[in-house]
Amino acid sequence: MARNKTVFLVFRLVLGGLFIYAGAVKVLDPLGFAQDIRNYRLVGQTLSFVAAVVLPWLEILAGAFLVAGVWKRGAALLISGLLVFFIVLTLVTMARGLDVDCGCFGSLSRKSGWGVIVEDLGMLAIGLTLLLAPTKLPHAPDY
Amino acid sequence: MSDAGKVLRQALAIGALSLVVAAAVHLPLIKRFARGEFRDSFFRAADYPGVRLIALEETEELWAGGAAVFLDARAAGLFGRGRVPGARNVPSAGGGEEVPEEVLALPKDGTLVVYCEGGDCQSSLALARRLHDEGFRDIRVFGGGWAEWTGAGLPLEKDDGQE
Repeated sequence: MARNKTVFLVFRLVLGGLFIYAGAVKVLDPLGFAQDIRNYRLVGQTLSFVAAVVLPWLEILAGAFLVAGVWKRGAALLISGLLVFFIVLTLVTMARGLDVDCGCFGSLSRKSGWGVIVEDLGMLAIGLTLLLAPTKLPHAPDY
Repeated sequence: MSDAGKVLRQALAIGALSLVVAAAVHLPLIKRFARGEFRDSFFRAADYPGVRLIALEETEELWAGGAAVFLDARAAGLFGRGRVPGARNVPSAGGGEEVPEEVLALPKDGTLVVYCEGGDCQSSLALARRLHDEGFRDIRVFGGGWAEWTGAGLPLEKDDGQE
């Protein structure tokens, strides 16, 4: 059980840390991120702006709650939901043949493509593990 | 089931908190948006003095006069298949690669013309921003891009062996 606990702790720190980082680089350049969102050509100017202002903070706070171990399953639910959304968005973008910067990690972003999907799926696996792992059962890992 | 409800409430609470923090931190930016800024583009001209959009006519004049350096922001493959004669390739989609040394070595007060595919391609604007950050002060973005250039039947240049 102690080993499980360590694994869950590492999962929380890694996933939470990645989300804090991803959010922080976007907070620093909201207009640049707004343009990244606009480039996906799914939403208009106003929604792109609203998303660019709110989404980074959603990532930072969900990541911070996960790292801190407070409301960690709520945070894991939010993060998993965001990842599902990112994966669908990337697939739709690829299907439409758009050549866009994924906008995932600010200026370190790459093009939207399979690499992004694989990364997101990896993070989603961790997120769902944290969300669905039993916590209240006897002998269950209390992560 | 109450557990699921609890998790959902936690997620909603984090979401609400994010809204509050985002609104508080970005209040000045939100006010500017409310006043009508950024409605056409998130690119703020005031942040990038010396960068401006130009039309086909001016682009053609600059090219014919030979006074400006043309930079093609599209991917290398597209560049090889056809480009504005004399243009240099600086692929700039997806964050882009390093701006080549030979471009950085150009006089900072010289005129640069950047373009990409056309339509609403963004890589020329992205390149213009990077060049501005590198100290260039006369950067003209040809918005019509490659599509408008070829559409007007202007000369083009391609790599050997390319159709």
